[in-house]
Amino acid sequence: MTAEATPALVEGAAADPGTPGPAAGRGPRARTAAAYLRYVAGKLAGAAVSLLAVLVTSFFLFRLIPGDPVKFMTGGRPVSAEQLAAYRREFGLDLPLWRQFAHYCGKALTGDLGTSYQFRTPVIDKITEALPNTLLLTGTAFVLYTALGIVLGTRSAWRHGRLGDRLNTGLALTLYSVPSFWLGLLLIIVLSVGVGPVPGLFPTGGMESGGKEGFAYAVDVAHHLVLPVVTLVAVEYGQTLLVTRSALLDEMGGDYLTTARAKGLRDDQVRRRHAVPNALLPTVTLVFVNLGRTVAGVILVETVFSWPGLGGLFYQGLSVPDLPLVQGLFFFFASAVIVMNTLADLLYPLLDPRVGR
Amino acid sequence: MTADTTATPGPRTLTRQRRRASAARFWKQYRTHRAGVVGLAALVLCVLVALTAPLTVGADVRSVTDAPGGPLESPSARFPLGTDQFGRSLLGLVIWGSRVSLLVGLLAAVLSVAIGTLIGITAGHFRGWYATVMMRITDWFLVMPTLVLAIALATVMSRSLGTIVVAIGVTTWPTTARLVRAQTLAVESRPYIERAKALGGGHWHVMSRHVLPNVMPLVLAQTTLIISTAILTEATLAFLGLGDPTGVSWGGLLQDAREAGAVSSGDWWYLVPPGIAIAVVALAFTLCGRAVESVLNPRLGVSR
Amino acid sequence: MNTHDLHGRGRTGPRLGRTRLLATAGAAALVLTAGLASPLVPAAPRAHAAEGTQAGKDGKDGKDGKDGKVLTVAVAQSVDSLSPFLAVRLLSTSIHRLTYEYLTNYDPKDAHVVPGLATKWEPSPDKLTWTYTIRSDSKWSDGQQATAEDAAWTFNKMMTDQGAATANGSFVNNFEKVTAPSPTQLVIRLKKPQATMTALDVPIVPKHVWEKVDDFSEFNNDKSFPVVGNGPFVLTAYKPDSYVRLKANKDFWRGAPKFDELVFRYYKDQDAAVAALRKGEVSFVAGSPALTPAQAASLKGEKDIRVNEGPGRRFYALATNPGAQARNGKKFGDGHPSLLDERVRHALFMAVDRKTIVDKVFQGHAVEGQGYIPPRYPTYFWEPSGNRRLAYDPAKAAELLDRAGYRANADGKRVGKDGKPLNYRVLCHATDPNDKAVGKYLQEWWGGLGIGVTLDCLDNVTDPWLAGKYDLAFDGWSVNPDPDFVLSIHTCAALPATPKDTGATDNFICDKTYDELYAKQLAEYDPAERANLVKQMESRLYDLGYMNVMAYPNAVEAYRTDQIESITTMPAEAGNIYGQDGYWSWWSAVPADSDDSSGGSASTGVVIGIVAGVVVLAGLAGLFAMRRRATAEDRE
Repeated sequence: MTAEATPALVEGAAADPGTPGPAAGRGPRARTAAAYLRYVAGKLAGAAVSLLAVLVTSFFLFRLIPGDPVKFMTGGRPVSAEQLAAYRREFGLDLPLWRQFAHYCGKALTGDLGTSYQFRTPVIDKITEALPNTLLLTGTAFVLYTALGIVLGTRSAWRHGRLGDRLNTGLALTLYSVPSFWLGLLLIIVLSVGVGPVPGLFPTGGMESGGKEGFAYAVDVAHHLVLPVVTLVAVEYGQTLLVTRSALLDEMGGDYLTTARAKGLRDDQVRRRHAVPNALLPTVTLVFVNLGRTVAGVILVETVFSWPGLGGLFYQGLSVPDLPLVQGLFFFFASAVIVMNTLADLLYPLLDPRVGR
Repeated sequence: MTADTTATPGPRTLTRQRRRASAARFWKQYRTHRAGVVGLAALVLCVLVALTAPLTVGADVRSVTDAPGGPLESPSARFPLGTDQFGRSLLGLVIWGSRVSLLVGLLAAVLSVAIGTLIGITAGHFRGWYATVMMRITDWFLVMPTLVLAIALATVMSRSLGTIVVAIGVTTWPTTARLVRAQTLAVESRPYIERAKALGGGHWHVMSRHVLPNVMPLVLAQTTLIISTAILTEATLAFLGLGDPTGVSWGGLLQDAREAGAVSSGDWWYLVPPGIAIAVVALAFTLCGRAVESVLNPRLGVSR
Repeated sequence: MNTHDLHGRGRTGPRLGRTRLLATAGAAALVLTAGLASPLVPAAPRAHAAEGTQAGKDGKDGKDGKDGKVLTVAVAQSVDSLSPFLAVRLLSTSIHRLTYEYLTNYDPKDAHVVPGLATKWEPSPDKLTWTYTIRSDSKWSDGQQATAEDAAWTFNKMMTDQGAATANGSFVNNFEKVTAPSPTQLVIRLKKPQATMTALDVPIVPKHVWEKVDDFSEFNNDKSFPVVGNGPFVLTAYKPDSYVRLKANKDFWRGAPKFDELVFRYYKDQDAAVAALRKGEVSFVAGSPALTPAQAASLKGEKDIRVNEGPGRRFYALATNPGAQARNGKKFGDGHPSLLDERVRHALFMAVDRKTIVDKVFQGHAVEGQGYIPPRYPTYFWEPSGNRRLAYDPAKAAELLDRAGYRANADGKRVGKDGKPLNYRVLCHATDPNDKAVGKYLQEWWGGLGIGVTLDCLDNVTDPWLAGKYDLAFDGWSVNPDPDFVLSIHTCAALPATPKDTGATDNFICDKTYDELYAKQLAEYDPAERANLVKQMESRLYDLGYMNVMAYPNAVEAYRTDQIESITTMPAEAGNIYGQDGYWSWWSAVPADSDDSSGGSASTGVVIGIVAGVVVLAGLAGLFAMRRRATAEDRE
């Protein structure tokens, strides 16, 4: 849904002199280890600042929700002022805001994100409980849509302007414009409930039927996985496709390809050995950004398919509002993006063949 | 006076002429992008439908007490798209809903691009600590998961159209800011800016007279693309129940459909049209945006 | 989406076979099943380990459970806690009903009190001491005897430990002392007479297990399974937002349940739950709070599915802020002053067409609202008669408003005493579609009177509600067989002590006449006389005009007749199934022996799995072939 991540990265890289972007990277191969280390240190410091900023946001943003969390917590049950005060003390809500924040930060550093109001369990436990499910869903979808996007994008670029390319891009753009939750609902109607002669092939929701073990369990989960993954892949692969395609088109104007051809290499080889590896750079960046982003973007699909993951948890937390839970999840989501962005930044110079070789 | 101007055109007229010429050139190039033309046609149609809605279907289409049909009637000659659970005509509601969806998309995109352009230009122009701080903030917003942040904002504020606009606008501006800043840096490195400064042009003059017109094409392309995102996000937020509960929008219709149990009851006519409407408009804006971008992007201009 | 549409020189490569694409996808699919199945493993065994131990311990029983009859119920609500001392949500408390015995239970036919853990109960002549005889044929699932000592310990814990009083503390507020003179005798000494002593809906827990708990406010009872209990089912496994599994308690004193296993499976989306019912993935769907009219209509024609509709336990009302105040007389909140005028409240009452709400919003799946307590409880049901009835009459409503001094201005808007047009904020639950739907009608009906309506829809209305920051609010309570609780929330005593406290009050109603009647009924141990007093209270509440009961929504639920042959509804004649006062439905459900449709869906799964496997293998083979061809080409 967040279409704007791509240009930011591509352009941002070009605008930031610290990053060897596609345009800036044709420098000499003498990029020494020391220079790289300095670069790494810079990126890591940036990431640390971003993490801190996210920590601040996660803490203060949700304090804006009007009302007294303790009253939410007690759910309207009769509670005396003393009891309310006791609760406030217990959750540290009686302290001035800055001290609460200091506590929160201190604890967050040790991996303690507080205790959920509604579940009365450490938030970190709630997250680790739901995380594998979300990772399974997003990971599967991610691998598939990245592969699909790159393969189709390459083909599209190579046969640029032809019918196949136009159909390909057209389909990708169309699916990209479709609301994911709507697509999910339609898939449930058609493939899960069954329409007319189409039988209901897949489960309507959830992650498992329960009561299965071993291989049967894996098959069961895979069975439940199909529709949510298809939904995610359908709405997400378009972006990878388009970026791969345009990067490759950019690349195809390069002189070195002409040289390669002049050397007598076959077209297919030129593509596979020269154009594609270079063109994949922006895609690699996108891939990492997507990995971090998908974790957060999966909320809708999890809601529609009753997938017991982080997205559902976040939504549940918001409606209470379960401050520690939403804070923790928000921090987690944003951190995922930061970590992945940083990884992309760190890998970029290593992957760039114009620098590495 | 008039004769004078025609004889020796003043700088303003010259500028105007130049702009008109470049607009004509733009349009000529735009026309060669078939997808862009199709997208534009679809958009013009949608906007016309939205603007004429008060004449074609009338505001009464939203009334629940005067609803003409029975609950969830399937499509018929009287109700081409059937009725909703109150017996209102769904065709009418989808048409009426286009107003809110387009309006929210447009306002949110304008807000987003306005913030992005302002921060981008100033950060590109002033450099120094101001730019560092601004770009730090931009980066900070950039890593925030957009949908999560938008949901959080919509929860924090009251449920209304304005909230949705703000939630989308505030979460989507950073990309524009970075793009505009990069462009600003490129523009300001050109010699004529130096000249303008030497001639006593202040910050405001440089930014509004020289930088802004040069980043405008980029901003335009960015706006069209963000509208598409904004419409999808509006639908998403409405679908999650964070929209205006009494308004009629496409996302809201989908949420109503789901709450009425249309999915499992097989009442496809309640579910399919709003979704298609969202997809078509989002696609149309994306197509236009891509076409505008490929016409205007200076890098691409060279290679053509 | 910044895709540079570069019109460069496109070169055409050799046609790539379709196989290549398929192969890549296939390979990716394999990677995911192999690689990504692993992160899930750490989570999975946790739940299954519990089952494993269970199966191991019970030997044959565990095995039987697998092949035995499973009753699967679709649910949406998350479990807040599995500790009976903390749980307040319907699903959690229903699970506790199934896993722990309460002192008493309610007869499924007409909800009169019947024995539970207690077989007999008797008040002393001074009405202050109640003696319960505890049954001697109830065993905990770990083999120990359930005794009066367990009950006494449970109540004492709630009276002494703040954390243990979280969920059910209100039941023991009036207790002075609870003792167990013998294993079969429980004595409760009260501070004041209390007519609700046969309606103590408190799960009795085994002392020998729970006395090891340190902090009752944090112990969630979800770490070791099976959970020791003595209800008709034993809780054997729980995975948050995935499932709750319960096994039949073969030694249950009332008789073993007919199903071997009861599973609550999560469908966060009600449409998904209904679809699952259609496919036979689940045996029962209740919807939350009910199936929508469209869903009920579409399920009615379906083979092997029965739509069950019964009178609901809830009333659905529009509450008016009477000017929020605390017991110490301090006023707070910002309710509209015009609502303090009874004529205005009656006018608003009369401008709500309750019949239309039942017909259009509930589409007939509700009963038009009258008195406070739903007709499901005929003993306490009351309806206004004759001219006291505030029937739908917009013209009369307009007249009343005129008389009260709220006249329309030139624009047709009624103006308040402060000269501003009347506009009421109506607090609504964003999660309840009915609130939003009725809100749309209110906007038009009251708009016709010249009064504006702003719908204030929130996920959680608690805060503005407790702060008294609303004019009107959608309200609704589930009424228990004993109506004491829903009556108590409108007494002055329920108001918060100071604006800083939270009271038990529903919407700050405080009326002397009502309070006197309430005190009388609570001390009245004669059922008929008490019912009479309760009706007088309802009448008083109606006349005050603070609570406009618009409808009593029906329970609309559906189950598969090829999986459940019969099931007890409550009341027995045309009653409901989910959320009963007691464990009757699941305890009594008889499995249909026709076929095993869950096996059917399992085999579909296997077929699909096999097909997927074949596709992956074919893809791999294709990929391999492509590779070979490609290298061959490279070599030439």
